[in-house]
Amino acid sequence: MDTAKKPNGSLSGLRVLDLTRVWAGPLATRIYGDYGADVIKISDPRVPLVTENGLNSKLNRNKRNIGLRLDKSEGRNIFLELTSISDVVIENFRPRVMRNLDLTYEILIQTNPHLIMCSMPGFGLEGPYAEYPAFGTTAEALAGIPGLTGYDSSLPISSGMAYGDPVSGLNAVGILLTALRQRNITGKGQFVDIALAASPACNLGEFFGASSSNGYKPEINGNKSIQYCPHGAYKTKGDDEWIAVSVIDETAWCALVDVIGDTDLKSEKYLLLGNRKKDESFIDGRLSAWFESQESSDAMIQLQNSGVSAGIVSNNRQLLSDPHLNERGFFVDMDEPRFGVKRYDGQSILGNFVDKSNWTTTRDVGESSKEILVELLGYTNADCKKLEQEETVLFQ
Amino acid sequence: MRRTKTSLPLEGLKVIEIAQGIAGPHCGRLLAAFGAEVIKIEPPRGDWSRIVGPFLQDDENIESSATYQYNNSGKKSVVLDIATSKGMTAFKELVSTSDILLEDWDLSDRELLQISNNSFTDSNSSLIEISLTPFGLSGPYSKFTSTPIIQLALGGYLYLTGLPEKEPLMLPGHQPDYLTGLNGNGAVQIALWERDQTGKGQFVEIAMMETLATLHQFTMEMETYEGYVRNRNGNLWQRESAFSNYGITTIECSDGHLCFGISTEDQWERLCVMIGKSEFLEDPQYATRAKRRNNATYLDSLLKEWVGARTREEVMVEASEIWGLPTAPVLGVSEVLEDPQFRHRGLFVEIEHPVTGKTTFPSFSFKTQDMIPVLNRAPLLGEHNKEVLI
Repeated sequence: MDTAKKPNGSLSGLRVLDLTRVWAGPLATRIYGDYGADVIKISDPRVPLVTENGLNSKLNRNKRNIGLRLDKSEGRNIFLELTSISDVVIENFRPRVMRNLDLTYEILIQTNPHLIMCSMPGFGLEGPYAEYPAFGTTAEALAGIPGLTGYDSSLPISSGMAYGDPVSGLNAVGILLTALRQRNITGKGQFVDIALAASPACNLGEFFGASSSNGYKPEINGNKSIQYCPHGAYKTKGDDEWIAVSVIDETAWCALVDVIGDTDLKSEKYLLLGNRKKDESFIDGRLSAWFESQESSDAMIQLQNSGVSAGIVSNNRQLLSDPHLNERGFFVDMDEPRFGVKRYDGQSILGNFVDKSNWTTTRDVGESSKEILVELLGYTNADCKKLEQEETVLFQ
Repeated sequence: MRRTKTSLPLEGLKVIEIAQGIAGPHCGRLLAAFGAEVIKIEPPRGDWSRIVGPFLQDDENIESSATYQYNNSGKKSVVLDIATSKGMTAFKELVSTSDILLEDWDLSDRELLQISNNSFTDSNSSLIEISLTPFGLSGPYSKFTSTPIIQLALGGYLYLTGLPEKEPLMLPGHQPDYLTGLNGNGAVQIALWERDQTGKGQFVEIAMMETLATLHQFTMEMETYEGYVRNRNGNLWQRESAFSNYGITTIECSDGHLCFGISTEDQWERLCVMIGKSEFLEDPQYATRAKRRNNATYLDSLLKEWVGARTREEVMVEASEIWGLPTAPVLGVSEVLEDPQFRHRGLFVEIEHPVTGKTTFPSFSFKTQDMIPVLNRAPLLGEHNKEVLI
């Protein structure tokens, strides 16, 4: 056995056919791409890639792209040929789409019995809502996220960010590699169905456990916490600038009171969580009055240095200029062909991923069609010409 | 699913989990479910999640925390105090014969325990060590402390949730921890894929804050491509930028709220026809997504009128089946447990525990055909001391 790290990333040698769109699926395959897998994105040649808003560019780096009409028999054949030399096929259409294309798992394993296929529909492949369309926001609603979020119980509040998607994407990353490990042991392929709506529910396990056991019903009360006090976001100096503060114990409480120098809060009774909870709105009022005149970043550093958990409520601009993320080299600057250098989030799993200097920007629809057909499948230039004329494959 | 027992993909792997709370344990839960032997090392007072609610009994004790039980399914619990030299020696011995180490020592812990990043991987070259900390092991925040709301704040989530101008709202429970646990599982699987080929383990660092920062759809791109600060919009979508849209909204029905997730042009067109306003399709006032978004209050009132006195289910069925529009009821915790789709999927499973009896927990968001994860109960504190240490 070779004892050195794999030079081209942990997942080099793994091939993934990526039919996913929007967020959840592309997020999962982006992690594979960052780690050196050969991710081949299959795009419909009739649909131009939107790059003006940065979303596709952010999520589809380090992937190749073939523009392929799956609804044409020649195109479908090419897809099957690619399937025969791939480890994973991943898609997030509504269930009927792959059925209509006659590209279900049952069909694909006839071509490649070792294949891992993953479908990521909104509600799962079976069940009463299976064919219903879904979106990240509706998925999180069914899972109970907005039902537990709000200023009070009268109005549930969505996450504001289609939370079903990122949770599902992370679930896919792990489970597909687990399935691949199983395949390496048994030699058999595997089908994986990830429901967008089920993913956030699995991040609320304790709520369901307690509800099933003793009817636990959490109070919907803004950022208030039953175990910590004070706990919330406080307005600071500047336009819509805030700081989050979370006092976890007596020591942190004393440190907070010292920092803001409020003698009224120095009272011995407030050493007890129960008494702080009782007077929470009074305490919040005093804190708000103090924070109002503070710069959020300065207050965060002062509080953290004194042992109080605090953090500025970063907006996108602050996130991009965050000193911690920048010092750690978290971001990546990529030279986009149409837009110049753009800064994106890098990789959060700091293992053996492909060196950032070798990362590639998002390929346009069909940009890798030729190399894939010629180098991977042995097509000739004449074959490619014909496929182009028939509008089965787009070459760019 | 009654099938003959097949071997699970992580069988034969020994995992030492000294990480406490939710992130590391949630990752370990996945490893245990797929066959790994997960040995959880707890300090004498127990993992801190044992004293975090909600509890399964009115008598709040270290065996009745739902947070602990959910995230520690199928593990072995061993009590070791690694602050003592005897404890540390026993711990090191366990790690030396293990495949995976899940730990959550931040910089301060590492200094205190005198553990460097390569302490364990140097002496066991096939070891995969996953470091899960709030801020990572370098940089200006590396000694900061945090709770979920602090992570959500610094990771750029908090700012996006809630009503404009009002206090930003945190997502429920321990979302940053769960996301980091899932990311940790990805890291374990990636490192195992490499180790299965090279025989070599590695040290992999994951920071909670960076995990969150990679889980934004277009937050940072609104700034880098368009120069907008992405803000919070209650139950509506962006007002500004290329992501401006109407149709992602929440409407009250007779028995609660229903969330609409209308995001594409064809869905918008069907929405107009559905509410009897086909004329909007020709109306310049609704020609662009931004214009529709600016009319959100009015459009919400029309949608509300269309919903009328119907229930969430009645509206969802019509909107989904007839109009092909994404909707879903906003469910409360007890309603999620009863939802027909989740029931059909078998999302929730009942687990029996010697102290707390039967409890229903979520299984997993995925369903696999021939690789069925096993969910056993969480261990009592120190339940496996003898088995593991002697």
